[in-house]
Amino acid sequence: MSSNKDILPPKIIKDKGAVHPINHMKDSIMNLLVSFGFEIIDGPEIETEEFNFDMLNIKKTHPARQMHDTFYIENKSNLLRTHTSPVQIRGMLEKSPPLAFISGGKVYRKDDDATHLPMFHQIEGILVDENVSFAQLKDLIYKIVHSLFGEDIKLRFRPSYFPFTEPSAEVDILSTEGKWIEILGCGLVNPIVLENCNIDSNKFSGLAFGLGIERIAMLQHNMNDIREFYKSNLDFLGQFK
Amino acid sequence: MKISYSHLVSQIKENPSIEMISESLFQLGHEHEIDGDILNMELTPNRGDCLSLNGLLRDLSVFYTVNFKEKIYSEKLDKLQLDFENLSQNTCPKISFLKMEIDKIPKEYNQYLNDYFMKLNLNKNNFFTDVSNYLSYETGQPTHCYDASKINGKLILQELEINQEFHTLLDKKITLSDKNSFFSINDEVVNLAGVVGGKSTACTSGTKTVLVECAFFEPEAIIGKSLKYDIQSEASHKFERFVDPESHDYVIRRFINIVSEHANIKDMSFISYEYKKKQAIKIPVNVDKINQILGIDITEDQYVNYLSKLGFIINDDLINVPSYRSDISSQNDLSEEVARIIGYDNISKHKLPFVKGKTSNTDSIENKLRFLLIDHGFYEVINFPFSNEKYIDSIKIDNPLDSNKEHMRTNLINSLLENLAFNERRQKDSIKLFEISDVYNFKNNKIKKKRNLAIIASGRVGHNHIDFQKKINKKYLTNLFKDVLPSEDFAIKIFNREGLNSKIKNEIVGCEIDIENFSTEVLNYKEETRPPNSFKKFSQISDLPSSSRDLSFSIKDFSSRQNLEKYILGYENELIKEKFIFDYFYNENSAEIKIGFRFIFQSANSTITETQVNNVMNDIIRHTEKIKGVTIPGLN
Repeated sequence: MSSNKDILPPKIIKDKGAVHPINHMKDSIMNLLVSFGFEIIDGPEIETEEFNFDMLNIKKTHPARQMHDTFYIENKSNLLRTHTSPVQIRGMLEKSPPLAFISGGKVYRKDDDATHLPMFHQIEGILVDENVSFAQLKDLIYKIVHSLFGEDIKLRFRPSYFPFTEPSAEVDILSTEGKWIEILGCGLVNPIVLENCNIDSNKFSGLAFGLGIERIAMLQHNMNDIREFYKSNLDFLGQFK
Repeated sequence: MKISYSHLVSQIKENPSIEMISESLFQLGHEHEIDGDILNMELTPNRGDCLSLNGLLRDLSVFYTVNFKEKIYSEKLDKLQLDFENLSQNTCPKISFLKMEIDKIPKEYNQYLNDYFMKLNLNKNNFFTDVSNYLSYETGQPTHCYDASKINGKLILQELEINQEFHTLLDKKITLSDKNSFFSINDEVVNLAGVVGGKSTACTSGTKTVLVECAFFEPEAIIGKSLKYDIQSEASHKFERFVDPESHDYVIRRFINIVSEHANIKDMSFISYEYKKKQAIKIPVNVDKINQILGIDITEDQYVNYLSKLGFIINDDLINVPSYRSDISSQNDLSEEVARIIGYDNISKHKLPFVKGKTSNTDSIENKLRFLLIDHGFYEVINFPFSNEKYIDSIKIDNPLDSNKEHMRTNLINSLLENLAFNERRQKDSIKLFEISDVYNFKNNKIKKKRNLAIIASGRVGHNHIDFQKKINKKYLTNLFKDVLPSEDFAIKIFNREGLNSKIKNEIVGCEIDIENFSTEVLNYKEETRPPNSFKKFSQISDLPSSSRDLSFSIKDFSSRQNLEKYILGYENELIKEKFIFDYFYNENSAEIKIGFRFIFQSANSTITETQVNNVMNDIIRHTEKIKGVTIPGLN
């Protein structure tokens, strides 16, 4: 027995698009950090050596400053930022502690292979207050990693080196295959950096962390070739609705 | 850097296994991989002091009892009369020379020296160079050996802009350019300081009289040179990361000792030039500060004990930093030493009290536009900013990765046109893309930034029975914004297909706007779509060609329509990539519904064949034929 509804046209299934998976991941992490109390700040992708390196205690001899690692523009007058850290510098110069900023966006390094690209995305955070300690940094990192990968994920901290943090650490998570995978860098803000931003390092200390969005996205989406993100292939983009 | 486990363990009393050593090194922050007996070390650039056997042993002293067994020559050394001038004392504040003559060149090496070449799989060169290389491995201090008989003039060290060919001892000819630190004799470069020596004064298998140079070069003078001249140089790797300026006497005396174990030394003399002494670093003992930085609670005795194990000397409440630790100058640096010894993972978490921040601006016009487009089937893309197009206001990259893309793009639309052509070549018939990004230009010696939104679209409006027949055109895109942002001019235009490398003829429409120049009027739109809460697992993309088939049905018994739709839209086959209703028509006069389905086939592994497609289609037909009141016109 047919009814009127049998002759109605089929329900229109509208084609929906999708946010780029990197921006989706960036927004997810930023929203998480905002929920922790961080404030979002932005800065330019074209930076000066002063903000990208000098203010961050990255000395002239640091390999990152070489032409083979950093894109310089217009006769070395400026450069493409190699990390989002200069945004933190701009934030600290504008505001006084206590402060807690995050910034996310594109960064550039002279790399190009299956795991590195000349452009990728980072999110960095900084918190400056009185008596901030490494033990508190660990608490924050555990919260971030557990929020991203679940409470059961195993993580470890190991010593590392970043000129703008001291002590510095890299954080790995244990994959289901039993391999440790590096996911972020962090540390206590080097007092030199605080002083560069006119913050009294005897009174205040800070913690900072930074993570590569592509790396987290590759882990979450189970991908092994970073280049897929930037082919603008609809077969790829259509998977992330 | 490669270090042999057996070389390490031979000086450790507890005789730990390679796994135990590995774990200790890891806790200390020294990343490495194990390859048999070899530890392939990847040290952080601030730990130049660990680029040697002894350097690593110094750090391992924290966990083990290390006995440094090396013997050094302890007698007084005669003063060398050397015709040398240092015109570059800022880049080389300390340099020492040893001149030595041996009676004959050893045919065999002692076991430890042989062992070094064998375990690390290294080629031997000549006696003095071999000793120099071993010493660099053992102590971390590179030395350079000149054949003293080939030095026939005044040796001058200088840092100058130079343009001269230099024949290295590796038998490679390079042209020195720009500023370099180099040693020369009679205006001929004989040694690129801290990187590689020259062939004209190099030691050979016949060298019996050697001039050994042991220098401290400021890293600034060395950095980047080996890369610039494409020279693999262990020495420059070490100088770039800081060597111990106070090690010269020890290293030279160790050199003499090793030589004396292999040959009779007929004559030797030594001279050391120190133009500017490195200031010793002293830091007050302040365990409270260390406890505050790390969030721990150790006693001063524990603290002092930790530092003593690492070679720090504590006198009068001051911590004397060893000369080889160029990375230590503050309380925070010392706190890292303590953290490494305790183990980062052994430091307990403390709850972080938060400074409350502001919430993000999810209602920004940028986000509203983003979700409006997504609701209408547009996909967001992200493109690299490097472009082959040069405009009058383009920013030029000094050192592009690809010389064909040496400018920053000044617009987004050209990238989107390339994305569109790429997808057309992948047989996509409905392409809707957008990108939101900063773009930069260079005007009047100033860099200017804009925040742009660019949109491009072409082909069918969508994959449903209404949109399938419609083609994207200027009107389609104009209507998209007409209701939600009536006051804004998106300047939508039709783009030329010239140069797109695509055979498709569909009209391309798009626009590019500066979002920051938009009016502050709030976009009147409530998005339907939100990004998923979870992260989907990626499926491998097939680059193989796809194939499509259409199947049209006539339905006389309308009650069967739902069955038909349910069956086809629910039909699963690994070769079917997409399926949708592309046509629907109800003919009241003939009391008939005509409905068309499109199937798109693609294989992940091989180019799909006609037979494969037919097999799937026949299966669908076989089943649908059984549905009452449904026929496939033209099929008997």
